[in-house]
Amino acid sequence: MIMVVVALIAWLVTALGGFYLLATWIAKGGARAPRTSKFPPALIFGHFAVAAVGLVLWIIYVVARAQALAWVSFVLLAVVAVLGFTMLFRWIPTYRESRVAVPAGGSASSAAVPAERHFPIVAVGGHGLLAVVTVVTVLLAALGV
Amino acid sequence: MTGPATQAKEPVSAALAGPYGHPFHPILVTVPIGACVASLVFDVASQFVHTPGFLSQGSVWLIAIGVVGALGAAMIGFLDLMGIPTGTRAFRVGLIHMTLNLLVTAAYVGNFFWRQADYGQPVGVAVGPLVLSVVSLAALGVSGYLGGKLAYRYGVRVAAESTQAEGYRPVTSGQGA
Repeated sequence: MIMVVVALIAWLVTALGGFYLLATWIAKGGARAPRTSKFPPALIFGHFAVAAVGLVLWIIYVVARAQALAWVSFVLLAVVAVLGFTMLFRWIPTYRESRVAVPAGGSASSAAVPAERHFPIVAVGGHGLLAVVTVVTVLLAALGV
Repeated sequence: MTGPATQAKEPVSAALAGPYGHPFHPILVTVPIGACVASLVFDVASQFVHTPGFLSQGSVWLIAIGVVGALGAAMIGFLDLMGIPTGTRAFRVGLIHMTLNLLVTAAYVGNFFWRQADYGQPVGVAVGPLVLSVVSLAALGVSGYLGGKLAYRYGVRVAAESTQAEGYRPVTSGQGA
């Protein structure tokens, strides 16, 4: 039972980080035309939607304890992880560019800057790290550890 | 063209939040609101019928349906909130609407666990959980009012007036317009 609750807490905190990143992405125009983001909307919103469904199923599992729910949540989480890693790999070059561009005084017009360049590295790192904790604890809980 | 008000009318993701002029959040909230109202009706009715056990038990199920429904509605609501430009009055009302709803949902989660001790017993709903339901539903009403303000006063996710005008053109009949 402890692992089930630890997984729930890890998942909830990860979700908070995800909301922050998604809100930043939208506020910086990620979803608006002309799109400058390297994240296709289907990728980032798919990540959000599958994670949200998985989290709701996990919450139901915490109360109902039907074993099938745990495994469905885990499979959904695996899909979420794949989408998340896809975004991470697309984000890293953008982040590197921003590290180079700023000291050089590059005045690239803000319209051309991908929305995800505004992600603080702490938020991305924290979200990713907690996501890994979530996947591991959900797997352990599903296995009955 | 892309003023702050226009921005809040557009879905951030048409697939998830509903296409322009057809937001999904308003229809999703009918599930938790309906379940929470029905739960309170069961709570009150359980005080008067001769075999109240089924109502007390049903009320717990309605709370569970309400909480799960609220989470679903919240996910889509977050997307609409993220579409409102920050620093505006509409965004602030949206934040209060969100905070109230999260508190109400948390209260119902607490209420759900509070009722577990009596679950399956042939008794009516205890006074404590019943009062918590009344308070929660009242807060939900206030939050719903703010949600209505966002839609009907600030026009969040509501089509622009130029689009609305389409609905008021006379229908051309066979005789010609």
